[in-house]
Amino acid sequence: MMRSPTTGWLLLAPTIAVLVLTGVLPFLYVLVISFFDWNLFALNPEPRWTAANNFRRLVHDAEFLKSIWLTLLFTFWVVLSQIVLGFALARLMMRDFPFKKLFRAVHTLPLMIAPIAVGATWRLMTVPGLGPIPYYLKDWFGLDYRLSMFPDQAFASVVLMDIWHWTPFVTLTMLAGLSNLPQEPVEQARIDGAQEWQIFRDIILPFMKPVLLTTIFIRIMDALRVVDEVWMLTQGGPGAETRFIGLHIWKIVFPKTDYGYGSAMSLLTLYMTIVICWLLYAAMTARRGNAS
Amino acid sequence: MTTMPGRRGFLPIRTNAFDRVFISVVLFVAVHLLWMRFLEPALPLWVATVLSVALGALIVRKG
Repeated sequence: MMRSPTTGWLLLAPTIAVLVLTGVLPFLYVLVISFFDWNLFALNPEPRWTAANNFRRLVHDAEFLKSIWLTLLFTFWVVLSQIVLGFALARLMMRDFPFKKLFRAVHTLPLMIAPIAVGATWRLMTVPGLGPIPYYLKDWFGLDYRLSMFPDQAFASVVLMDIWHWTPFVTLTMLAGLSNLPQEPVEQARIDGAQEWQIFRDIILPFMKPVLLTTIFIRIMDALRVVDEVWMLTQGGPGAETRFIGLHIWKIVFPKTDYGYGSAMSLLTLYMTIVICWLLYAAMTARRGNAS
Repeated sequence: MTTMPGRRGFLPIRTNAFDRVFISVVLFVAVHLLWMRFLEPALPLWVATVLSVALGALIVRKG
């Protein structure tokens, strides 16, 4: 039986109201503030209209542009590694092996830890003279491991920490996708003599595309806004070599109280996230769209 | 048989009205940011606004 549209809208109304209150209104507020010069500790603490000046300042801000580049690099490495590792682990967990349940439980543990605690744990493990990682790297490989001194080590450590933290999430989503795969096409392909890699490329990957896309989008959005883990591990250092966009915005909005400029940065980050996800979606679904 | 939503214009993908407005807004922002970064010393920003509004209208109507 068809219900009237009014009933549907009435049922949706609470959700829409919450979304407007927590999503649309803050977005509009930030959008308006981004066109003002507003610094509480300036000579004139009142917001002053500056048109597009915050955005003009932003596209010439070498520090901010560098933080965008670092964030994109970080996002590329963590998402790629997590998807490859997560998929491989999910395929592994589809098979039976000794201590599988124990492995699954241990593997999922990092996912349950708060990002700030992950950062603190890694900080304790990497402090020279206290943590085991610098000790063993020096002892076994003669490597001088100091996050506060070498930018490459700091960047690699931050990437590794994020991979360690979020790969279980990818594994679980992939596992859910793989568990729901129809087995008939795979069995038919096997009977027809298809190789394992052909089955993977032509059957499993196309069936997994929606799960892959969703997981990639979630991970991209999370990686682009990473703050707390990195703050705990490196504080954005050495210098500004791991100061990603989130940390940079925090520095502008809180210690410097430059709300207008911080809002402009936040909007650009949102814009970048939407455009990257949209381009990726268009690229990954283009062949299917053209074929239809 | 299922019918694909949207239509095919000069854009390389099939789009509906929302897609075309979205693409126009994305291009509007991108043109302004790039203009401020590279072209503003030579050409004022309102030229970018006129160009991107015209481009947006073209995409919404024919894209």
